[in-house]
Amino acid sequence: MSKIELQNVTLNYAERNNVFTALEDISFSVKEGEFVSIIGASGCGKSSLLSLLEGLNFPTAGRVTINGDDIKGTGDDRAVVFQHYSLFPWMTTRANVVYGIKQVNKKLPKKDLGQIADDYLSKVGLSGFENKYPLQLSGGMQQRAAIARALAMSPSILLMDEPFGAVDAKNRKILQELLLELWENSEDKKTVIFVTHDIDEAILLSDRIIMMSANPGRIKKEISIPFPRPRNGSKLLESREYLNFRKEIITSFFNDISERIGGEEVAL
Amino acid sequence: MTEKIKKQLNITNALFLVFLLIQLLPERYSKETYEINIIIFVVTIQVIYLIFSFITKKEKKLETIRDILGITYFIIIAWQLMTSKSGFLNELLFPAPGIVIQQFIHDLPRIIEGIQSSLLIILEGYVLAIITAIPLGLAAGWHIRFGNSFQYVSKFFGSIPPIVYIPYAIALLPAFRDASVFVIFAASFWPILGATMAGVFNIEKKILDSAKTLNVGRLSMLFHVMLPAALPEILMGCSQGLGISFILLTSAEMIGGKTGMGYYIKYYSDFGDFTRIVVGIIVLGIVVSVITLFFNKLQRYLLRWRQ
Ligand SMILES: Nc1ncnc2c1ncn2[C@@H]1O[C@H](COP(=O)(O)OP(=O)(O)O)[C@@H](O)[C@H]1O
Ligand SMILES: [Mg+2]
Repeated sequence: MSKIELQNVTLNYAERNNVFTALEDISFSVKEGEFVSIIGASGCGKSSLLSLLEGLNFPTAGRVTINGDDIKGTGDDRAVVFQHYSLFPWMTTRANVVYGIKQVNKKLPKKDLGQIADDYLSKVGLSGFENKYPLQLSGGMQQRAAIARALAMSPSILLMDEPFGAVDAKNRKILQELLLELWENSEDKKTVIFVTHDIDEAILLSDRIIMMSANPGRIKKEISIPFPRPRNGSKLLESREYLNFRKEIITSFFNDISERIGGEEVAL
Repeated sequence: MTEKIKKQLNITNALFLVFLLIQLLPERYSKETYEINIIIFVVTIQVIYLIFSFITKKEKKLETIRDILGITYFIIIAWQLMTSKSGFLNELLFPAPGIVIQQFIHDLPRIIEGIQSSLLIILEGYVLAIITAIPLGLAAGWHIRFGNSFQYVSKFFGSIPPIVYIPYAIALLPAFRDASVFVIFAASFWPILGATMAGVFNIEKKILDSAKTLNVGRLSMLFHVMLPAALPEILMGCSQGLGISFILLTSAEMIGGKTGMGYYIKYYSDFGDFTRIVVGIIVLGIVVSVITLFFNKLQRYLLRWRQ
Protein backbone atom coordinates (compact mmCIF):
# COMPACT_ATOMS: atom_id res chain seq x y z
CA MET A 1 0.00 0.00 0.00
CA SER A 2 1.29 3.43 -0.77
CA LYS A 3 1.73 5.97 1.98
CA ILE A 4 0.09 8.82 0.11
CA GLU A 5 -2.30 8.49 -2.76
CA LEU A 6 -4.15 10.99 -4.90
CA GLN A 7 -6.90 9.68 -7.15
CA ASN A 8 -8.34 11.90 -9.88
CA VAL A 9 -8.11 14.97 -7.69
CA THR A 10 -9.69 18.19 -8.87
CA LEU A 11 -9.61 21.40 -6.87
CA ASN A 12 -11.80 24.38 -7.71
CA TYR A 13 -11.61 27.77 -6.10
CA ALA A 14 -14.89 29.65 -6.00
CA GLU A 15 -14.32 33.15 -7.28
CA ARG A 16 -16.77 36.01 -7.34
CA ASN A 17 -18.93 34.74 -10.18
CA ASN A 18 -17.05 31.86 -11.67
CA VAL A 19 -15.05 28.84 -10.67
CA PHE A 20 -11.30 28.61 -11.06
CA THR A 21 -9.89 25.15 -11.56
CA ALA A 22 -6.51 25.06 -9.84
CA LEU A 23 -5.93 21.30 -10.07
CA GLU A 24 -7.43 18.90 -12.56
CA ASP A 25 -7.43 15.13 -12.55
CA ILE A 26 -4.29 14.65 -10.52
CA SER A 27 -3.34 11.10 -9.65
CA PHE A 28 -0.12 9.84 -8.17
CA SER A 29 1.06 7.83 -5.23
CA VAL A 30 4.04 8.05 -2.93
CA LYS A 31 5.63 5.10 -1.17
CA GLU A 32 6.58 5.13 2.48
CA GLY A 33 10.01 6.69 2.92
CA GLU A 34 10.07 8.15 -0.56
CA PHE A 35 11.32 11.65 -1.32
CA VAL A 36 9.19 13.19 -4.05
CA SER A 37 9.58 16.68 -5.48
CA ILE A 38 6.81 18.56 -7.17
CA ILE A 39 8.15 21.00 -9.67
CA GLY A 40 6.44 23.47 -11.91
CA ALA A 41 6.19 27.14 -12.78
CA SER A 42 4.81 29.64 -10.31
CA GLY A 43 1.01 29.53 -10.22
CA CYS A 44 0.67 25.99 -11.57
CA GLY A 45 -0.97 24.79 -8.36
CA LYS A 46 1.92 23.32 -6.34
CA SER A 47 0.89 25.01 -3.09
CA SER A 48 -2.75 24.15 -3.75
CA LEU A 49 -1.77 20.52 -4.14
CA LEU A 50 0.23 20.60 -0.93
CA SER A 51 -2.63 22.27 0.96
CA LEU A 52 -4.71 19.15 0.30
CA LEU A 53 -2.02 17.03 1.92
CA GLU A 54 -1.66 19.52 4.79
CA GLY A 55 -5.36 19.12 5.42
CA LEU A 56 -5.95 22.87 5.09
CA ASN A 57 -8.08 22.38 2.00
CA PHE A 58 -10.15 19.58 0.49
CA PRO A 59 -10.50 18.31 -3.06
CA THR A 60 -13.57 19.25 -5.07
CA ALA A 61 -13.49 15.79 -6.61
CA GLY A 62 -11.32 12.74 -6.19
CA ARG A 63 -9.61 11.36 -3.11
CA VAL A 64 -6.51 12.17 -1.13
CA THR A 65 -5.50 9.40 1.24
CA ILE A 66 -2.77 8.64 3.76
CA ASN A 67 -2.37 4.96 4.61
CA GLY A 68 -5.62 4.43 2.73
CA ASP A 69 -7.66 6.87 4.83
CA ASP A 70 -9.09 10.09 3.45
CA ILE A 71 -7.46 13.19 4.88
CA LYS A 72 -9.98 14.84 7.24
CA GLY A 73 -7.85 17.78 8.29
CA THR A 74 -4.46 18.59 9.71
CA GLY A 75 -2.79 15.83 11.68
CA ASP A 76 0.26 15.11 13.77
CA ASP A 77 1.41 12.49 11.26
CA ARG A 78 2.44 15.43 9.06
CA ALA A 79 4.71 18.41 9.64
CA VAL A 80 4.94 21.37 7.30
CA VAL A 81 7.67 23.81 6.39
CA PHE A 82 6.52 26.86 4.44
CA GLN A 83 8.62 29.38 2.59
CA HIS A 84 7.71 32.09 5.10
CA TYR A 85 5.96 32.36 8.45
CA SER A 86 6.41 28.76 9.52
CA LEU A 87 7.76 30.07 12.83
CA PHE A 88 5.91 32.35 15.22
CA PRO A 89 7.88 35.59 15.43
CA TRP A 90 6.92 36.18 19.08
CA MET A 91 8.48 32.93 20.26
CA THR A 92 12.21 32.39 20.53
CA THR A 93 13.72 29.70 18.35
CA ARG A 94 13.65 27.24 21.24
CA ALA A 95 10.11 28.23 22.24
CA ASN A 96 8.97 27.63 18.66
CA VAL A 97 10.37 24.10 18.67
CA VAL A 98 9.07 23.41 22.18
CA TYR A 99 5.62 24.65 21.19
CA GLY A 100 5.64 22.29 18.20
CA ILE A 101 6.64 19.28 20.29
CA LYS A 102 3.98 20.15 22.88
CA GLN A 103 1.24 19.88 20.26
CA VAL A 104 2.28 16.30 19.56
CA ASN A 105 3.17 15.21 23.06
CA LYS A 106 1.23 17.11 25.71
CA LYS A 107 2.60 15.14 28.65
CA LEU A 108 6.34 15.64 28.30
CA PRO A 109 7.87 17.45 31.27
CA LYS A 110 9.29 20.90 30.65
CA LYS A 111 12.89 19.79 31.03
CA ASP A 112 12.57 17.10 28.37
CA LEU A 113 10.86 19.51 26.01
CA GLY A 114 13.79 21.90 26.23
CA GLN A 115 16.25 19.05 25.86
CA ILE A 116 14.63 17.66 22.71
CA ALA A 117 14.33 21.15 21.24
CA ASP A 118 18.01 21.87 21.85
CA ASP A 119 18.99 18.53 20.32
CA TYR A 120 17.14 19.26 17.10
CA LEU A 121 18.37 22.83 16.99
CA SER A 122 21.94 21.59 17.25
CA LYS A 123 21.23 19.07 14.46
CA VAL A 124 20.37 21.92 12.13
CA GLY A 125 23.35 23.96 13.31
CA LEU A 126 21.50 26.49 15.43
CA SER A 127 23.23 25.90 18.75
CA GLY A 128 23.74 29.27 20.38
CA PHE A 129 20.70 30.78 18.69
CA GLU A 130 18.08 29.12 20.89
CA ASN A 131 17.08 32.36 22.59
CA LYS A 132 16.97 34.51 19.48
CA TYR A 133 13.68 35.56 17.97
CA PRO A 134 13.04 34.55 14.33
CA LEU A 135 13.27 38.14 13.10
CA GLN A 136 16.77 38.33 14.57
CA LEU A 137 17.85 35.41 12.36
CA SER A 138 18.69 35.35 8.66
CA GLY A 139 16.19 33.78 6.27
CA GLY A 140 18.31 30.64 6.03
CA MET A 141 18.51 30.27 9.80
CA GLN A 142 14.75 30.73 10.11
CA GLN A 143 14.27 27.82 7.70
CA ARG A 144 16.74 25.72 9.69
CA ALA A 145 14.67 26.38 12.80
CA ALA A 146 11.47 25.52 10.93
CA ILE A 147 13.04 22.23 9.82
CA ALA A 148 14.17 21.54 13.40
CA ARG A 149 10.63 22.08 14.64
CA ALA A 150 9.15 19.87 11.93
CA LEU A 151 11.58 17.04 12.68
CA ALA A 152 11.22 17.41 16.44
CA MET A 153 7.51 16.70 16.06
CA SER A 154 8.55 13.30 14.62
CA PRO A 155 5.95 13.13 11.86
CA SER A 156 5.95 10.29 9.35
CA ILE A 157 5.35 12.74 6.51
CA LEU A 158 7.21 15.97 5.87
CA LEU A 159 5.56 18.52 3.58
CA MET A 160 7.77 21.31 2.33
CA ASP A 161 6.52 24.19 0.18
CA GLU A 162 9.50 25.87 -1.48
CA PRO A 163 11.31 25.94 1.85
CA PHE A 164 14.50 27.38 0.37
CA GLY A 165 12.82 29.59 -2.21
CA ALA A 166 13.59 32.83 -0.38
CA VAL A 167 17.12 31.93 0.69
CA ASP A 168 20.14 33.26 -1.20
CA ALA A 169 21.90 30.88 -3.59
CA LYS A 170 24.88 30.06 -1.40
CA ASN A 171 22.84 29.30 1.70
CA ARG A 172 20.32 27.39 -0.37
CA LYS A 173 23.07 24.95 -1.37
CA ILE A 174 24.05 24.52 2.28
CA LEU A 175 20.45 23.95 3.34
CA GLN A 176 19.92 21.40 0.58
CA GLU A 177 22.94 19.44 1.80
CA LEU A 178 21.69 19.67 5.37
CA LEU A 179 18.24 18.37 4.47
CA LEU A 180 19.77 15.61 2.35
CA GLU A 181 22.03 14.54 5.19
CA LEU A 182 19.30 14.66 7.84
CA TRP A 183 16.94 12.66 5.67
CA GLU A 184 19.41 10.08 4.35
CA ASN A 185 20.87 9.42 7.79
CA SER A 186 17.64 9.11 9.75
CA GLU A 187 16.64 5.60 10.81
CA ASP A 188 12.95 5.92 10.09
CA LYS A 189 12.93 7.46 6.65
CA LYS A 190 10.25 10.08 6.47
CA THR A 191 8.05 10.37 3.44
CA VAL A 192 8.78 13.79 1.99
CA ILE A 193 6.82 15.87 -0.50
CA PHE A 194 9.01 18.76 -1.50
CA VAL A 195 7.68 21.60 -3.65
CA THR A 196 10.22 23.60 -5.58
CA HIS A 197 10.78 25.41 -8.85
CA ASP A 198 14.51 24.73 -8.82
CA ILE A 199 15.39 21.76 -11.02
CA ASP A 200 18.84 21.14 -9.53
CA GLU A 201 17.34 21.12 -6.06
CA ALA A 202 14.70 18.63 -7.14
CA ILE A 203 17.20 16.26 -8.78
CA LEU A 204 19.66 16.42 -5.90
CA LEU A 205 17.10 15.63 -3.21
CA SER A 206 14.48 13.40 -4.75
CA ASP A 207 13.80 9.81 -5.59
CA ARG A 208 11.21 11.00 -8.02
CA ILE A 209 10.09 14.28 -9.58
CA ILE A 210 6.52 15.09 -10.49
CA MET A 211 6.35 17.85 -13.05
CA MET A 212 3.25 19.99 -13.25
CA SER A 213 1.89 22.20 -15.97
CA ALA A 214 -0.36 25.16 -15.43
CA ASN A 215 -3.91 26.27 -16.23
CA PRO A 216 -5.32 24.06 -15.01
CA GLY A 217 -2.70 22.41 -12.83
CA ARG A 218 -2.05 18.93 -14.15
CA ILE A 219 0.68 16.38 -13.90
CA LYS A 220 2.84 16.61 -16.95
CA LYS A 221 5.40 13.93 -16.26
CA GLU A 222 6.87 11.75 -13.56
CA ILE A 223 10.59 11.10 -13.60
CA SER A 224 12.57 8.74 -11.38
CA ILE A 225 16.00 9.98 -10.36
CA PRO A 226 18.55 7.26 -11.03
CA PHE A 227 21.44 8.59 -8.94
CA PRO A 228 22.46 6.40 -6.02
CA ARG A 229 22.41 7.54 -2.40
CA PRO A 230 23.98 8.82 -0.32
CA ARG A 231 24.36 11.72 -2.67
CA ASN A 232 26.91 14.47 -2.57
CA GLY A 233 25.75 17.75 -4.00
CA SER A 234 28.98 19.12 -5.43
CA LYS A 235 30.13 15.75 -6.82
CA LEU A 236 26.78 14.99 -8.38
CA LEU A 237 26.52 18.38 -10.06
CA GLU A 238 29.84 17.85 -11.85
CA SER A 239 29.12 14.36 -13.15
CA ARG A 240 28.45 13.78 -16.84
CA GLU A 241 25.38 11.64 -16.11
CA TYR A 242 23.89 14.48 -14.15
CA LEU A 243 24.37 16.99 -16.95
CA ASN A 244 22.75 14.70 -19.49
CA PHE A 245 19.91 13.91 -17.18
CA ARG A 246 19.32 17.55 -16.40
CA LYS A 247 19.29 18.43 -20.08
CA GLU A 248 16.61 15.85 -20.70
CA ILE A 249 14.40 17.32 -18.02
CA ILE A 250 14.94 20.87 -19.17
CA THR A 251 13.94 19.95 -22.71
CA SER A 252 10.62 18.74 -21.46
CA PHE A 253 10.30 21.90 -19.42
CA PHE A 254 10.94 24.15 -22.36
CA ASN A 255 8.13 22.45 -24.16
CA ASP A 256 5.89 23.37 -21.30
CA ILE A 257 7.07 26.93 -21.06
CA SER A 258 6.59 27.56 -24.76
CA GLU A 259 3.03 26.35 -24.34
CA ARG A 260 2.33 28.97 -21.75
CA ILE A 261 1.98 32.65 -22.27
CA GLY A 262 3.27 34.96 -19.56
CA GLY A 263 3.83 33.89 -16.01
CA GLU A 264 7.02 33.57 -14.11
CA GLU A 265 9.79 31.41 -15.56
CA VAL A 266 11.14 28.36 -13.84
CA ALA A 267 14.69 28.74 -12.57
CA LEU A 268 16.82 26.51 -14.77
CA MET B 1 37.87 62.53 31.36
CA THR B 2 38.60 65.62 29.25
CA GLU B 3 36.20 64.08 26.77
CA LYS B 4 33.50 64.04 29.46
CA ILE B 5 34.22 67.64 30.45
CA LYS B 6 34.06 68.79 26.85
CA LYS B 7 30.67 67.16 26.59
CA GLN B 8 29.46 69.48 29.35
CA LEU B 9 29.56 72.35 26.86
CA ASN B 10 25.91 72.05 26.02
CA ILE B 11 22.74 74.10 25.99
CA THR B 12 21.34 72.48 29.12
CA ASN B 13 24.29 73.57 31.22
CA ALA B 14 24.23 77.00 29.59
CA LEU B 15 20.57 77.33 30.55
CA PHE B 16 21.45 76.33 34.09
CA LEU B 17 23.89 79.21 34.26
CA VAL B 18 21.27 81.57 32.81
CA PHE B 19 18.92 80.39 35.53
CA LEU B 20 21.48 81.22 38.21
CA LEU B 21 22.07 84.65 36.66
CA ILE B 22 18.44 85.66 36.60
CA GLN B 23 18.21 84.94 40.31
CA LEU B 24 20.18 88.19 40.69
CA LEU B 25 17.28 90.15 39.25
CA PRO B 26 15.12 91.88 41.84
CA GLU B 27 11.62 90.58 42.52
CA ARG B 28 8.63 92.45 41.14
CA TYR B 29 5.78 90.54 42.76
CA SER B 30 4.50 92.02 46.02
CA LYS B 31 3.70 88.75 47.80
CA GLU B 32 6.33 86.36 49.11
CA THR B 33 7.45 84.18 46.17
CA TYR B 34 9.67 81.62 47.93
CA GLU B 35 12.28 81.80 45.17
CA ILE B 36 14.62 79.70 47.30
CA ASN B 37 12.41 76.65 46.53
CA ILE B 38 12.94 76.83 42.80
CA ILE B 39 16.66 77.46 43.28
CA ILE B 40 17.00 74.38 45.48
CA PHE B 41 14.94 72.37 43.00
CA VAL B 42 16.96 73.34 39.94
CA VAL B 43 20.34 73.05 41.66
CA THR B 44 19.46 69.61 43.04
CA ILE B 45 18.46 68.14 39.69
CA GLN B 46 21.49 69.79 38.07
CA VAL B 47 23.81 68.13 40.60
CA ILE B 48 22.14 64.75 40.07
CA TYR B 49 22.40 65.20 36.34
CA LEU B 50 26.10 66.10 36.52
CA ILE B 51 26.91 63.10 38.69
CA PHE B 52 24.92 60.84 36.39
CA SER B 53 26.61 62.25 33.28
CA PHE B 54 30.05 61.39 34.66
CA ILE B 55 29.27 57.84 35.72
CA THR B 56 26.88 56.62 33.02
CA LYS B 57 27.94 54.78 29.90
CA LYS B 58 24.55 55.03 28.20
CA GLU B 59 25.12 57.94 25.84
CA LYS B 60 21.63 57.85 24.34
CA LYS B 61 19.84 57.87 27.66
CA LEU B 62 22.03 60.73 28.89
CA GLU B 63 21.23 62.71 25.78
CA THR B 64 17.49 62.26 26.32
CA ILE B 65 17.73 63.29 29.96
CA ARG B 66 19.84 66.30 29.03
CA ASP B 67 17.31 67.45 26.47
CA ILE B 68 14.41 67.05 28.88
CA LEU B 69 16.32 69.01 31.51
CA GLY B 70 17.16 71.73 28.99
CA ILE B 71 13.50 72.16 28.13
CA THR B 72 12.56 72.16 31.83
CA TYR B 73 15.13 74.88 32.58
CA PHE B 74 13.93 76.91 29.65
CA ILE B 75 10.33 76.73 30.87
CA ILE B 76 11.32 77.68 34.44
CA ILE B 77 13.43 80.60 33.22
CA ALA B 78 10.63 81.86 30.99
CA TRP B 79 8.17 81.36 33.82
CA GLN B 80 10.27 83.38 36.26
CA LEU B 81 10.98 86.12 33.74
CA MET B 82 7.29 86.51 32.95
CA THR B 83 6.20 86.47 36.59
CA SER B 84 8.20 87.41 39.67
CA LYS B 85 11.25 88.74 37.85
CA SER B 86 9.34 91.26 35.73
CA GLY B 87 5.84 91.60 37.08
CA PHE B 88 4.70 91.31 33.47
CA LEU B 89 1.86 88.90 34.27
CA ASN B 90 -0.91 89.30 36.82
CA GLU B 91 0.34 88.19 40.19
CA LEU B 92 -3.00 86.65 41.19
CA LEU B 93 -3.44 84.60 38.03
CA PHE B 94 0.15 83.54 37.45
CA PRO B 95 2.02 82.43 40.56
CA ALA B 96 5.80 82.33 40.48
CA PRO B 97 7.40 78.86 40.43
CA GLY B 98 8.76 79.09 43.97
CA ILE B 99 5.36 79.63 45.50
CA VAL B 100 3.91 76.77 43.46
CA ILE B 101 6.52 74.47 44.97
CA GLN B 102 5.74 75.85 48.43
CA GLN B 103 2.07 75.09 47.93
CA PHE B 104 2.85 71.66 46.50
CA ILE B 105 4.86 70.71 49.58
CA HIS B 106 2.14 72.03 51.85
CA ASP B 107 -0.59 70.05 50.06
CA LEU B 108 1.50 66.94 49.42
CA PRO B 109 -0.48 64.53 51.63
CA ARG B 110 -3.74 65.54 49.96
CA ILE B 111 -2.17 65.37 46.52
CA ILE B 112 -0.85 61.85 47.09
CA GLU B 113 -4.24 60.77 48.36
CA GLY B 114 -5.89 62.32 45.31
CA ILE B 115 -3.53 60.66 42.84
CA GLN B 116 -3.94 57.35 44.58
CA SER B 117 -7.71 57.54 44.41
CA SER B 118 -7.65 58.54 40.72
CA LEU B 119 -5.20 55.83 39.77
CA LEU B 120 -7.14 53.11 41.56
CA ILE B 121 -10.33 54.11 39.77
CA ILE B 122 -8.55 54.12 36.41
CA LEU B 123 -6.87 50.82 37.15
CA GLU B 124 -10.17 49.17 38.02
CA GLY B 125 -12.10 50.40 34.98
CA TYR B 126 -9.17 49.89 32.65
CA VAL B 127 -8.32 46.37 33.78
CA LEU B 128 -12.00 45.48 33.57
CA ALA B 129 -12.03 46.75 29.97
CA ILE B 130 -8.86 44.86 29.08
CA ILE B 131 -9.97 41.52 30.46
CA THR B 132 -13.36 41.71 28.75
CA ALA B 133 -12.53 43.44 25.46
CA ILE B 134 -9.49 41.36 24.50
CA PRO B 135 -11.04 37.88 24.82
CA LEU B 136 -14.24 39.13 23.21
CA GLY B 137 -12.27 40.76 20.39
CA LEU B 138 -10.26 37.59 19.83
CA ALA B 139 -13.38 35.45 19.74
CA ALA B 140 -15.23 37.90 17.50
CA GLY B 141 -12.26 38.15 15.18
CA TRP B 142 -12.07 34.39 15.03
CA HIS B 143 -15.67 33.90 13.96
CA ILE B 144 -15.43 36.16 11.00
CA ARG B 145 -19.13 36.50 10.29
CA PHE B 146 -19.88 37.31 13.89
CA GLY B 147 -16.91 39.62 13.82
CA ASN B 148 -18.06 41.50 10.75
CA SER B 149 -21.38 42.61 12.18
CA PHE B 150 -19.69 43.18 15.49
CA GLN B 151 -17.20 45.48 13.87
CA TYR B 152 -19.97 47.93 12.95
CA VAL B 153 -21.41 47.80 16.45
CA SER B 154 -17.97 48.45 17.87
CA LYS B 155 -17.39 51.28 15.37
CA PHE B 156 -20.71 52.86 16.35
CA PHE B 157 -20.05 52.79 20.07
CA GLY B 158 -16.43 53.64 19.59
CA SER B 159 -17.37 56.77 17.66
CA ILE B 160 -19.48 58.18 20.51
CA PRO B 161 -17.39 60.66 22.49
CA PRO B 162 -17.21 58.84 25.81
CA ILE B 163 -17.73 62.06 27.76
CA VAL B 164 -21.47 61.67 27.09
CA TYR B 165 -21.51 58.66 29.41
CA ILE B 166 -20.71 60.84 32.40
CA PRO B 167 -24.17 62.28 33.19
CA TYR B 168 -25.77 58.87 32.73
CA ALA B 169 -23.19 57.12 34.81
CA ILE B 170 -23.61 59.63 37.61
CA ALA B 171 -27.40 59.35 37.45
CA LEU B 172 -27.44 55.57 37.40
CA LEU B 173 -24.60 54.83 39.77
CA PRO B 174 -25.02 57.21 42.68
CA ALA B 175 -21.63 56.44 44.17
CA PHE B 176 -19.10 58.63 42.40
CA ARG B 177 -16.48 55.90 42.46
CA ASP B 178 -18.71 53.34 40.76
CA ALA B 179 -19.82 55.82 38.15
CA SER B 180 -16.21 56.73 37.39
CA VAL B 181 -15.13 53.11 37.10
CA PHE B 182 -18.02 52.55 34.73
CA VAL B 183 -17.16 55.55 32.58
CA ILE B 184 -13.52 54.49 32.31
CA PHE B 185 -14.57 50.96 31.49
CA ALA B 186 -17.01 52.13 28.82
CA ALA B 187 -14.48 54.51 27.33
CA SER B 188 -11.56 52.11 27.06
CA PHE B 189 -13.62 49.04 26.18
CA TRP B 190 -14.44 50.09 22.61
CA PRO B 191 -11.00 51.12 21.39
CA ILE B 192 -9.51 47.94 22.86
CA LEU B 193 -12.23 45.75 21.37
CA GLY B 194 -11.94 47.43 17.97
CA ALA B 195 -8.16 47.16 17.97
CA THR B 196 -8.28 43.50 18.98
CA MET B 197 -10.71 42.63 16.20
CA ALA B 198 -8.71 44.61 13.66
CA GLY B 199 -5.56 42.91 14.92
CA VAL B 200 -7.11 39.49 14.46
CA PHE B 201 -8.42 40.37 11.00
CA ASN B 202 -4.96 41.47 9.97
CA ILE B 203 -3.10 38.36 11.10
CA GLU B 204 -1.07 36.96 8.24
CA LYS B 205 -3.00 33.95 6.89
CA LYS B 206 0.23 31.95 6.64
CA ILE B 207 0.73 32.28 10.40
CA LEU B 208 -2.71 30.81 11.06
CA ASP B 209 -2.07 28.06 8.49
CA SER B 210 1.20 27.26 10.21
CA ALA B 211 -0.59 27.03 13.56
CA LYS B 212 -3.29 24.83 12.05
CA THR B 213 -0.75 22.41 10.61
CA LEU B 214 0.66 22.08 14.14
CA ASN B 215 -2.79 20.91 15.29
CA VAL B 216 -2.99 23.70 17.82
CA GLY B 217 -5.99 23.43 20.15
CA ARG B 218 -8.67 26.11 20.32
CA LEU B 219 -7.52 27.84 23.48
CA SER B 220 -3.87 27.73 22.49
CA MET B 221 -4.82 29.13 19.09
CA LEU B 222 -6.58 32.00 20.82
CA PHE B 223 -3.99 32.84 23.46
CA HIS B 224 -0.67 31.57 22.10
CA VAL B 225 -1.14 32.46 18.46
CA MET B 226 -3.85 35.03 17.83
CA LEU B 227 -3.26 37.13 20.93
CA PRO B 228 0.47 37.66 20.37
CA ALA B 229 -0.01 38.03 16.61
CA ALA B 230 -2.60 40.77 17.18
CA LEU B 231 -0.77 42.27 20.15
CA PRO B 232 0.83 45.22 18.32
CA GLU B 233 -2.61 46.51 17.37
CA ILE B 234 -4.17 45.55 20.70
CA LEU B 235 -1.60 47.64 22.52
CA MET B 236 -2.37 50.61 20.30
CA GLY B 237 -6.00 50.28 21.39
CA CYS B 238 -4.93 49.97 25.02
CA SER B 239 -2.82 53.09 24.76
CA GLN B 240 -5.73 54.99 23.23
CA GLY B 241 -8.00 53.73 26.01
CA LEU B 242 -5.56 54.83 28.69
CA GLY B 243 -5.33 58.33 27.26
CA ILE B 244 -9.11 58.69 27.14
CA SER B 245 -9.37 57.32 30.68
CA PHE B 246 -7.29 60.14 32.12
CA ILE B 247 -9.17 62.83 30.26
CA LEU B 248 -12.49 61.36 31.33
CA LEU B 249 -11.67 60.74 34.95
CA THR B 250 -10.33 64.26 35.35
CA SER B 251 -13.50 65.63 33.78
CA ALA B 252 -15.67 63.41 35.97
CA GLU B 253 -13.80 64.51 39.08
CA MET B 254 -14.32 68.12 38.07
CA ILE B 255 -18.02 67.57 37.48
CA GLY B 256 -19.09 65.41 40.38
CA GLY B 257 -16.11 64.18 42.37
CA LYS B 258 -14.97 64.62 45.90
CA THR B 259 -11.52 63.18 45.30
CA GLY B 260 -8.72 63.21 42.76
CA MET B 261 -6.70 65.89 41.01
CA GLY B 262 -9.66 66.95 38.87
CA TYR B 263 -11.59 67.71 42.04
CA TYR B 264 -8.59 69.48 43.57
CA ILE B 265 -8.33 71.79 40.55
CA LYS B 266 -12.07 72.40 40.37
CA TYR B 267 -12.40 73.03 44.12
CA TYR B 268 -9.72 75.71 44.21
CA SER B 269 -10.79 77.30 40.97
CA ASP B 270 -14.06 78.12 42.75
CA PHE B 271 -11.94 80.13 45.21
CA GLY B 272 -9.79 81.63 42.48
CA ASP B 273 -6.76 79.99 44.08
CA PHE B 274 -4.55 79.96 41.00
CA THR B 275 -1.47 78.76 42.82
CA ARG B 276 -3.23 75.50 43.59
CA ILE B 277 -4.68 75.29 40.08
CA VAL B 278 -1.16 75.46 38.69
CA VAL B 279 -0.02 72.85 41.23
CA GLY B 280 -2.85 70.57 40.09
CA ILE B 281 -2.10 71.04 36.41
CA ILE B 282 1.60 70.32 36.83
CA VAL B 283 1.00 67.28 39.04
CA LEU B 284 -1.52 65.88 36.54
CA GLY B 285 0.91 66.43 33.69
CA ILE B 286 3.70 64.65 35.54
CA VAL B 287 1.49 61.73 36.60
CA VAL B 288 0.17 61.17 33.06
CA SER B 289 3.69 61.45 31.60
CA VAL B 290 5.11 58.92 34.03
CA ILE B 291 2.29 56.47 33.36
CA THR B 292 2.68 56.90 29.60
CA LEU B 293 6.40 56.26 30.01
CA PHE B 294 5.74 53.04 31.90
CA PHE B 295 3.18 51.98 29.35
CA ASN B 296 5.64 52.54 26.51
CA LYS B 297 8.30 50.57 28.34
CA LEU B 298 5.88 47.70 28.88
CA GLN B 299 4.83 47.87 25.24
CA ARG B 300 8.44 47.75 24.07
CA TYR B 301 9.05 44.75 26.33
CA LEU B 302 5.99 42.86 25.12
CA LEU B 303 6.87 43.51 21.49
CA ARG B 304 10.60 42.87 21.88
CA TRP B 305 10.36 40.14 19.24
CA ARG B 306 9.74 42.70 16.51
CA GLN B 307 13.36 43.18 15.37
N1 LIG C 1 -7.51 30.66 -2.10
C1 LIG C 1 -7.50 30.84 -3.44
N2 LIG C 1 -8.58 31.34 -4.07
C2 LIG C 1 -8.57 31.50 -5.41
N3 LIG C 1 -7.52 31.22 -6.21
C3 LIG C 1 -6.42 30.72 -5.64
C4 LIG C 1 -6.35 30.50 -4.23
N4 LIG C 1 -5.12 30.00 -3.94
C5 LIG C 1 -4.47 29.90 -5.12
N5 LIG C 1 -5.25 30.32 -6.14
C6 LIG C 1 -4.89 30.32 -7.57
O1 LIG C 1 -4.58 29.01 -7.92
C7 LIG C 1 -3.48 28.98 -8.79
C8 LIG C 1 -2.40 28.08 -8.22
O2 LIG C 1 -1.86 28.71 -7.06
P1 LIG C 1 -0.76 28.01 -6.18
O3 LIG C 1 -1.24 26.69 -5.78
O4 LIG C 1 -0.38 28.94 -5.11
O5 LIG C 1 0.43 27.86 -7.22
P2 LIG C 1 2.00 27.65 -6.98
O6 LIG C 1 2.20 27.25 -5.57
O7 LIG C 1 2.38 26.59 -7.96
O8 LIG C 1 2.67 28.93 -7.31
C9 LIG C 1 -3.01 30.40 -8.98
O9 LIG C 1 -3.53 30.88 -10.19
C10 LIG C 1 -3.63 31.12 -7.83
O10 LIG C 1 -3.93 32.45 -8.17
MG1 LIG D 1 3.41 28.18 -4.07
